[in-house]
Order: sequence, then structure tokens, then C-alpha cells
Amino acid sequence: MTKDHDDHHDHDHDHDHEHRRPDVALRVKAIESLLVEKNLLDPEAVDKLIDLYEHKIGPRNGARVVARAWTDPDYKARLLKDGTAAIAEFGYSGIQGEDMVVLENTPGVHNMVVCTLCSCYPWPTLGLPPNWYKAAPYRSRAVIDPRGVLEEFGITISSEIEVRVWDSNAELRYLVLPMRPAGTEGMSEDELAELVTRDSMIGVGFPVQP
Amino acid sequence: MPTMFSVKGLDELVRTGGSCRVAVEVPSGFKPGDNVRAVNINPITHTRLPQYVRGKRGVVVEDRGVFVFPDTNSQLKGEKPQHVYSVVFTAAELWGPGVNPRDTLYIDLWEDYIVPEEQAS
Repeated sequence: MTKDHDDHHDHDHDHDHEHRRPDVALRVKAIESLLVEKNLLDPEAVDKLIDLYEHKIGPRNGARVVARAWTDPDYKARLLKDGTAAIAEFGYSGIQGEDMVVLENTPGVHNMVVCTLCSCYPWPTLGLPPNWYKAAPYRSRAVIDPRGVLEEFGITISSEIEVRVWDSNAELRYLVLPMRPAGTEGMSEDELAELVTRDSMIGVGFPVQP
Repeated sequence: MPTMFSVKGLDELVRTGGSCRVAVEVPSGFKPGDNVRAVNINPITHTRLPQYVRGKRGVVVEDRGVFVFPDTNSQLKGEKPQHVYSVVFTAAELWGPGVNPRDTLYIDLWEDYIVPEEQAS
């Protein structure tokens, strides 16, 4: 689903590979070994966390939230009023999603999320952040040139529409509620969830147009 | 003494997380609609006030509630709980001419990061 975007951005942003540099990997391994030796870290806990976030918690969670909001006006109202509670109705909660705010895209406003200070991201709904989200080029340019960055993601926002950038520098975590694509009137909630991409919930893409 | 990060209780941790929101009554110095200016501080220690908003004028949009203050907490100098506000800055205020005048930047700022600003921004 998002492979094309990842490839595109690996190409554009050299720093995407930063975290895979062998010296960094070696340093992380050394720190992990030290923590285990000092009895501060249980290796089983690391394996379990990796398994959870690689296989169980990811952007399909967020897609289900969005599809529900598209089909159930009462749910949408709850979601925009108290994102944390409405998302928890699906059982999605916890680390990096303790205080959720849902940002509704409208014909007049396009929302886009960045963490300029590090890589803060709503884990329970989107899983772990993509590499480009953590890399310096996106983090620095999303605030000063959001429209240029969006162009690189392949989306153009009309100059008549406000681009609203959200820096998740503090404790709040943001999920974009994209607009429901036209021509999806007869579709079920499950079918709609298939149209919701990870990037559309960060605000750097649109849902798939069926 | 730090305790071991163990697999025991991990499910509970993943489910509930570890919010820095605290249930402490602290007076709020600002309300939605207030004109504010981000302070210009340049600590060499941890802060969650990004450089690009320092000294810039914005408007409080919402009171997010009370959270532990990272600048002191990170140095083990106390939690100093205080209100965090969603503050909006225009792109023009942050970056000068040449930006779309409609565009905005929303950021969450702790009470200590902002001061009242009389001039409308």
C-alpha cells in the first residue's frame, strides 16, 4: 500500500538510511548488551515489544477508526471531542497514544503532522513511524515548507486551502481524519477501511480513490 | 535504584502507556484567544520548546490540561506540573514573507514557554 511512497522517499532523502548505518546498529547492540548485563533490561521484553509493533499494532488500527468516523456521525462527533476515549472504544490505547487529538480535514483545511524534536507518533493507531518521519529532512522541512514537502509526496493542496501543520513536540499525539473519497457512498465500513492509507492519517497523502 | 524493564507487566504497560499528564490542580495563566509570545530561551539542557517558535507571537487555541514540565523533570529538578496550551502561529509570523498567508502551525506549549503579548498577532 505504501511501498511506493517509501521507495520514493528513500530516494529523495539520503538520511533515511541513517539509522541503518552499521556503527549505529553496533552502538545500539552494545547499549542493549550493557543494559541486559546490568539487569536493567529483560531481552524477552525487547522481543515481545518488537513482535507487538511489527505484527499486531499498525496503521490498520487507525484505518478502522477513520472508516467508523466516515460511516457513523455519532462516532465521529465523539472522536473529534475526545480522541483518546473514542479510539479506546476499539481497544486501541496506551504507549504514545495516551492523549490523542483527531484532526479533521475539511474542504478548507488540510492537516499534516510532524514531530520536529524527535519522532513522536501515535503508536496505538499507526504503529511505529516510517523512516522518513524520523529523518531530519521531513522534520525540518515540514514546518517551513509544508506545501513543498506535500508535493514530494505527490499531493498538491490548493492555495485556497489552509495547510495546518501540527508539531507533536509535547505529550499530545495527532491522527488526521482524512476526507472520505467521493464515489464511496455504497461502501461498507470494512471496504472503506481498505482505502485509508497510513500517509493519509499523517496528512501527507490522501485515501485511495476507488 | 532503577528497576529492570521486564516482560512482566509489559502488556499492561503497552495498554495503558505512561502519560505525563498529572491530576494536579494548577492555576492556568492563559485561556483560548489570548495573544502570547514564546519566550526566547536557549538552554543547553533538555527543552521541548523548538527553536523556530522562540520569540514568535501566537494565539492560544486550547488548554490541554496539566502535564509534567520536561525542562525540570529531565534534570531531576522536579515535575513542576503546569498547563500545556495548543498555540497557533501564522506561517508568516514564523517564516516571513513568501509563505501562503492562510497557512498555520499548531504546537503544544507549556505555561513557562509563553508570556502575554498585548499586540494582536
